[in-house]
Amino acid sequence: MDLFGKTITELQALIKEKKVAASEVWEYFVKRSKRHNPKLNAYVSLLEKPSNPIVKGIIPKMELWGIPLAVKDNYCTKGVRTTASSKVLDDFISPYESTVTSKLKLSGYELLGKTNMDAWAHGASTETSDYGLTKNPWDLGRYPGGSSGGSAAAVAAYIAPGAIGSDTGGSIRHPSAWCGIIGLKPTYGRVSRYGVIAMGSSFDCPGPMTQSVEDNAMLLQIMAGKDPYDATSSPVAVPDYRSKMKTKRKLKIGIAREYLKGVEPDIQTAFENMVDVIKKMGHSVVDVSLMSPEYSISVYTIAQRAEVSSNLGRYDGIRYANNRAYFGQEAKRRIMLGTYTLSHGYYDAFYKKAQKVRTLIKNNFKKTFEDVDLIIGPNTPVTALKVGEFEKYPFFGELMDQLNESASVAGIPAMSIPIELDSKNLPIGMQIMGNYFDESSIFNFAYQIEQETNFFDVIKKGREKYK
Amino acid sequence: MSKSVHLTKEDVLHIAQLANLPLSEESIEKYQKDLTETLHYVENLDELDISKTEASSHTTDLQNVFFEDGTKETRKFTQEQATQNAKNIKNGQFVVKRLM
Amino acid sequence: MSKYTPVIGLEIHVELKTKSKMFCQCDADYFGKKPNSNTCPVCIGMPGALPVPNRTAVEWAIKIGQALNCVINKHSKFDRKHYFYPDLPKAYQISQYDEPIAVNGRFNIITTPSSLRSATPPYIGGEFTNNNLLLTKEEYPKGEVVKKIAITRVHLEEDTGKLTHTGKDTLVDFNRSSVPLVEIVTEPDFENAEDVKIFLEKLHTIIRYLDVSDANMEEGSMRMEPNISLSMISDKAERMKHLPNYKVEVKNINSFNFAKKAIDFELIRQAKILDKGETPAQETRGYDDKKGITFSQRSKEEAQDYRYFPEPDIPPMEFSDEEIEAIRLTIPELPSAKRERFIRDFGLKENEAAILARERSIADYYESVFSKIKSIRASSEIENVEKLTASAIVNKRISISQSPDEFAEKFIETYKPIDVDQDKLSEVIASIIKNNPKQVEQYNAGKTGLLGYFVGMVMKEMNGKADPQAVQKLMRERLS
Repeated sequence: MDLFGKTITELQALIKEKKVAASEVWEYFVKRSKRHNPKLNAYVSLLEKPSNPIVKGIIPKMELWGIPLAVKDNYCTKGVRTTASSKVLDDFISPYESTVTSKLKLSGYELLGKTNMDAWAHGASTETSDYGLTKNPWDLGRYPGGSSGGSAAAVAAYIAPGAIGSDTGGSIRHPSAWCGIIGLKPTYGRVSRYGVIAMGSSFDCPGPMTQSVEDNAMLLQIMAGKDPYDATSSPVAVPDYRSKMKTKRKLKIGIAREYLKGVEPDIQTAFENMVDVIKKMGHSVVDVSLMSPEYSISVYTIAQRAEVSSNLGRYDGIRYANNRAYFGQEAKRRIMLGTYTLSHGYYDAFYKKAQKVRTLIKNNFKKTFEDVDLIIGPNTPVTALKVGEFEKYPFFGELMDQLNESASVAGIPAMSIPIELDSKNLPIGMQIMGNYFDESSIFNFAYQIEQETNFFDVIKKGREKYK
Repeated sequence: MSKSVHLTKEDVLHIAQLANLPLSEESIEKYQKDLTETLHYVENLDELDISKTEASSHTTDLQNVFFEDGTKETRKFTQEQATQNAKNIKNGQFVVKRLM
Repeated sequence: MSKYTPVIGLEIHVELKTKSKMFCQCDADYFGKKPNSNTCPVCIGMPGALPVPNRTAVEWAIKIGQALNCVINKHSKFDRKHYFYPDLPKAYQISQYDEPIAVNGRFNIITTPSSLRSATPPYIGGEFTNNNLLLTKEEYPKGEVVKKIAITRVHLEEDTGKLTHTGKDTLVDFNRSSVPLVEIVTEPDFENAEDVKIFLEKLHTIIRYLDVSDANMEEGSMRMEPNISLSMISDKAERMKHLPNYKVEVKNINSFNFAKKAIDFELIRQAKILDKGETPAQETRGYDDKKGITFSQRSKEEAQDYRYFPEPDIPPMEFSDEEIEAIRLTIPELPSAKRERFIRDFGLKENEAAILARERSIADYYESVFSKIKSIRASSEIENVEKLTASAIVNKRISISQSPDEFAEKFIETYKPIDVDQDKLSEVIASIIKNNPKQVEQYNAGKTGLLGYFVGMVMKEMNGKADPQAVQKLMRERLS
């Protein structure tokens, strides 16, 4: 049975109907991962054996039984090496399990491997990893984006049928756009952060990265929900995303012109084309006005680095890890900026000011969502850059995420879907932002687009080279 | 906060000390430049009127989230688990160079 | 000669005896456990771990604030306080900065003339002014003075791990990490060490009354650090407006007595420096109880930059009036009110009432015991049960380590009026007087102490079947 290109949903059906054994699925992806990882460097650690016992003929009634997933290396996975792609944690074996992976475990999933990322999730290229750069499957001379670059590459090259990442300022959406897959940053608090190595505590969102919208909804369904061990996780009920996804709702879509500034012509064109498609599908498209994304960048830059400087204090080499000399340049830079903005005399001028503007941005979105269901726009200003090109851009990480950071600042959900290829044959991502806890509308809309266009076969084309 | 924010070498050294980060002599200038550049960028926030705005100290609107008092064994570490990743242990305790 | 007034403020940490820690579900009782076996990802600061506050700890912090007559902040939150030290696993302590649980409280202490006498002694070269010598005789006929100590704030935070220094190493054990601590800060209202001691004893009693902590300084469940300086300004209001330009913090004091000794030592040390025209260094000093001295530990000159910011992992707290009131209603009758009630309702002597009210468990025992006694018919002949019970307990005539039932039995046995054979008594008294003419002569000559001797002999003859008080009275009459 040829499993190539099967979505998680399809694999689940095959396993359930006993058309393929769970062990076969495991072998399939392990083989593919071993084969392609040397050139992609998507994984920091690949597991040798499946963790669930394979008993012949018995298929437990677990939703993800037999499904291997790639997990970003900032999730603490018990008994498995967890590094956040930093040499500081080079030999760290996590003694406990994150809530998200615990939930996945309870659903019967297999941990395929821990994926490469920007060290500590600091970046939008996966270049700051201490374990080498991950390559973009579309063009091995280009970045996959970041910080969940390894997860995005694994799914794009189909060496994993799906992956888990984390998004703090675009870290799921950005690589999803550059690798041409579907990535969701859920509402802040929708998914528990317990066990995810903290970067920006008030921004971090664990989320799914997949080849289909249904897969994405299905994974979020399992991951989401209140966790008594994460005080910021929300008690808002988790709706049945998949059933809500399949009704053909007519939605009111907003476009903010502020989010089209500085975007490459190819991306602009692709976006405008998609807007036509959306209109033809019967949705209404209106202009909305949002605060300039540049303010979000500043808020994010200050607040995130302040939280980073605080969260990375515990890595002192006493209870675990190597000492602080092992931090890379980017980590040191961020820690120092954060320390400075929190230090005596500067708190009001930086952190407090940023948190005030944060209120303005939140209110701006809240108000806008009174008029529209969703807001769309390009996900990144450029498509995948060539390795080495980042040097051109000043404090590169943040500016690459300029279109993503406002959703992170506000805490609203946002998804990246592939909408076309540019003239360089690289995928272009479109961002769909939704109201707080309204992932259902995002899924519904994205699913309709998928049904209508199949994302112009971007995902299919992406994995072709890796058949 | 005008664009005259310029971190000096002493500033960088002081920050590194507060942050408990070892810095090589050669790297100080680069950090000076990088950090100053970032600080300049964020000055755009001064364009906004936030005189009557509350600071968002938390992303959610949640309040009063607690755990009921009571011990749970399920998440507790054994001495072995707690110390398994440490490089220097003695009798189940973590070891550092003598402090006083 | 220069005159100095001590300016002393206290920082007290009370370890709460909740079941679990402040931000995780490990045992708050860490005593005697294998090192690092009472830990979890949260309290040992693992990557990715998150704190969730203990509701009871928050309620008890409010309760302490209320017992100290504070204003309870309806809006409160946690903040991160950053510094690097091996016993602080996250490199920040979750504490409270600008929105603590409670502020602006008041705690009165009563100082007595005897306590004034043991206040900081003068020394050669200078002397200390003591405004407390101005007694307000009209209000407090016994010469007591009520001192009002202002409580600046009461807040909640987590404890650190424990360090053990041995050989070339320092060892770290995180069993205690994240145990709930309530920090109480006073204004620098103390003017002498004895007042500090009285305050600590009273605070200890109140905290134990609330049943939120053992508040034991020797065991570490109550810790205290005084901030000490000397002022040349004698007027209190002026002095508070112009506080001295330095202060010295003293650590490692682990009993009420050591507190007094350490402060007294420090005051003299500082006075000597000031006499030379110098200013004592702003620093942290340790107390060495064996040598009875304070010694320099580290310079407090550069105030630590803790880089406080609101704890993003914990949503803020909002308390309603109803919730705050509900907590206040759980505060039991406090010692001073209890003392007054005992004096007023049971006619107890002041010192008896004070002793009984000092420990809630004893006060409760006392009340349960005399109600038990009164419910037994056989006790109906005994007068002033409450007073006698109090006396029996205070003078340790009957043990309180038995059940109230057993105590009641013993009590009735001891105090039930004995049927005295009055005729026999009369005879015995007469015969004792007759048989001891020498002693009678001495007694009448003025050796009144011999009365006890006579009473003893009578009691012996009566085989104890007489009331010593009555015998004494009769004896006195017969002898004169």
